[in-house]
Amino acid sequence: MPELQGGWGIPMVYVICGQCDWRYLAPDTDLPEHCPHCAAPALARLDADEAQFPYPHPPELVVPFEVAEAVLAARIEAFARGIPFVPTDLNPATLRERMQKLYLPMWLVDSDVVASWQAEVGFDYEVVSHQGRYADGAGWRTEEVREGRVRWEPRVGQLRRHYDNVAAPALGLQEAAQRALGRYNVSNAGDYSAEHVRTAIVRAPDRSPEAAWPDAEVGLRQRAADECCSAAHADHIRDFRWAPEFGEPNWTLLLLPVYATFYRDDEGQPQRVLINGQTGQLSGVRRGSMKRAQRTSLVIGIVALVLFLLSVGAAVLGAMVPPALAIGVVGAVMAVLIGIGAIIPIARVWSFNRRESRATPEV
Amino acid sequence: MALFPPEGYVRVESAVEGIEVYMPAPEVPQAEPDVVDFRCPQCQAKTAYSVADGGLRCAYCGYYEPPSMPIVGKGAQEFEFTVETVAAAREAHGWGTERRELRCESCGAETSLPPGSLSHTCPFCGSNRVLQQDAPEDALRPRFLVPFQIELKRCHEVARAWLGSSWMTPASLKNAARIADFAGIYIPCWTFDCRTSASWRAQVGHQVTERYYDASSKSWKSRTRTVWRWESGQAQRVFDDLLVVGTERLSQVLLGQLQSFDTRQLVPYAPSYLAGFMAHAYDVPLETAWKRAREQMRSDTHGACRAQASTSQIRNFSMSIDFGDESWRYVLMPVYLAVYRYNDQAYQIMINGQNGSIAGQRPVDWTKVWLAVAAMLAPGVLLGLIGVLAAALGLALPPSLIAGGGLLIVAFILLLVGIIFAVITLNKARAMDDA
Repeated sequence: MPELQGGWGIPMVYVICGQCDWRYLAPDTDLPEHCPHCAAPALARLDADEAQFPYPHPPELVVPFEVAEAVLAARIEAFARGIPFVPTDLNPATLRERMQKLYLPMWLVDSDVVASWQAEVGFDYEVVSHQGRYADGAGWRTEEVREGRVRWEPRVGQLRRHYDNVAAPALGLQEAAQRALGRYNVSNAGDYSAEHVRTAIVRAPDRSPEAAWPDAEVGLRQRAADECCSAAHADHIRDFRWAPEFGEPNWTLLLLPVYATFYRDDEGQPQRVLINGQTGQLSGVRRGSMKRAQRTSLVIGIVALVLFLLSVGAAVLGAMVPPALAIGVVGAVMAVLIGIGAIIPIARVWSFNRRESRATPEV
Repeated sequence: MALFPPEGYVRVESAVEGIEVYMPAPEVPQAEPDVVDFRCPQCQAKTAYSVADGGLRCAYCGYYEPPSMPIVGKGAQEFEFTVETVAAAREAHGWGTERRELRCESCGAETSLPPGSLSHTCPFCGSNRVLQQDAPEDALRPRFLVPFQIELKRCHEVARAWLGSSWMTPASLKNAARIADFAGIYIPCWTFDCRTSASWRAQVGHQVTERYYDASSKSWKSRTRTVWRWESGQAQRVFDDLLVVGTERLSQVLLGQLQSFDTRQLVPYAPSYLAGFMAHAYDVPLETAWKRAREQMRSDTHGACRAQASTSQIRNFSMSIDFGDESWRYVLMPVYLAVYRYNDQAYQIMINGQNGSIAGQRPVDWTKVWLAVAAMLAPGVLLGLIGVLAAALGLALPPSLIAGGGLLIVAFILLLVGIIFAVITLNKARAMDDA
């Protein structure tokens, strides 16, 4: 396995989480305290030959962390708000304290392409049409409307182009991450510098360039189709087919920014919270504390039981003091109602947790 | 691809360096001479379109040239109402090639003539005074036409038979009318295709019979009243080749009486079809014709919506209509025109050059018509008078009163029937007179 190449600007080491097996590159002098993925407490160093890192070179481009502090704070506040019987560990301060910067990798490929192509291109045009309304006594009222149409025409051609920085996933879970965190605007990406990783950790790719090539080819095809559409002065393109020959591809890395944090639920299990470092989109499961809900239910149940017993006693006294019977009956009814209400905290938390689990995509 | 570029493709300008773009080669319209002179290659005499043979024929040596265009029928190209087309139609008017045009000082009709012909009689009003002026050139020109299928020599026979076919015309009309030569002319028409979608809502009346207790007569009675219920529905109609005549120089009444032209016989425009015939440029522009077509479609769809109601008692009817998939064609249709004179009055005849149906103006012999009306009313009136007399006699002779009553009833029925037929006859006569 190749040694980690210089050019990163600062000394970087391979590390691995012993719990979830996620591999990272981290600054030698600032190793993270816990795994951004599973919050395991310690990351172990790896030798270069153990790391199996398929790409030792520094990345070419980085999408920087752009979310404003105020936006970040607001998103975290909103995340922690509105949870019934919120766990003790889930609060904005804790989430901010544990937050660490993480980069997810994406492959970029440069390639020459020579191809013959054919497609149907579409040209927008408008037609004049009419709509009318009629009512007894009012007669007809007609208005002219414009409708957009597309005229499709066949085109063929040849292309000889060079495409730079076509993206392909470097992680097996790239699609899941995109669903959870939303899309990144890679046009904002800038050249890599050491400052980007000085306080951050980089997730190592788990897909080799060879494995990512089919996805890169899809991206190249899309790029070519868009260019052929522009070349034909058209507005749309469909049924694009081509017979390409690719030059030797040049692979580099693009880093996508993510904030990673976590909180612990009732069972002490870490619940991961990820935030898109560019847009601020947040992904994380919110869970209410079933233990707190159960405690509350127990208290309410005990109160109901005590009230019921007192009511029974009052009802017995009613044999001698008639008004006490009425008090006893009323008390008993109230005790039953309060007893039924004791279920509410548990039901509420159970329903909330179930709903949140279904709504949040898993990364 | 094995062969590049494929056959029939031409290179076009590309907006991206490194990408070549080819498109199917556009059809290059064959260059047409400004004036087409139809001369027989054998004897140099003039040739003309022969209705019998469907091609060009020389009347002197018998040379024949078959028609060059196949029938395209309803597959004839249609055009959408693109923004550019509508704008161009507003600018354009008339013909695509230079032709000799004659303008009649009497009725203002402009007629486009093949080169070399002279027109002594205006086919529209019979006037003998004409002027010549050049036809304007523009881009909106007819691309399809229905060729003449009725021969000129049949027109006189058809016209004579038609003149004598109605009892309302003077008896001498058939033989005394002096029919001028029929002129074959292609009239401009617009065809429209469209799909309408409509939704409607209305209150529909239902007759309900109910029983009620009448306190005054202390009995149960029944009565019928109307219950109004809201109903709604949707209707779709498809219009295929709805024809709107593109000229107002001809009698719209007569054109409406002619059977409609069959667009399944449409052929692509070629000058040879017009050899020996006149052609009339449109004076009803596309937008105006489209508006008229829409009114027809609207009315038809309106009727279709009302027909969906569960009864014919409808009130507070409202509907909305959407026109879709609209397209149009500018075509030429064949018509024979002639003028005949009777008692120093000029009357117009029109014959559909495709199917031979005839429409025209005929003088009405009002004496005959009024006599016929009198004959229709007479039985009822006479019988009524007899009935009145019999009823009057009944004062002295009671059985006569009953007979008189019976006669009056029969007379009333006969009068009613007579009035109906009289009204129908008068309407027909008036329509014939106003044509």
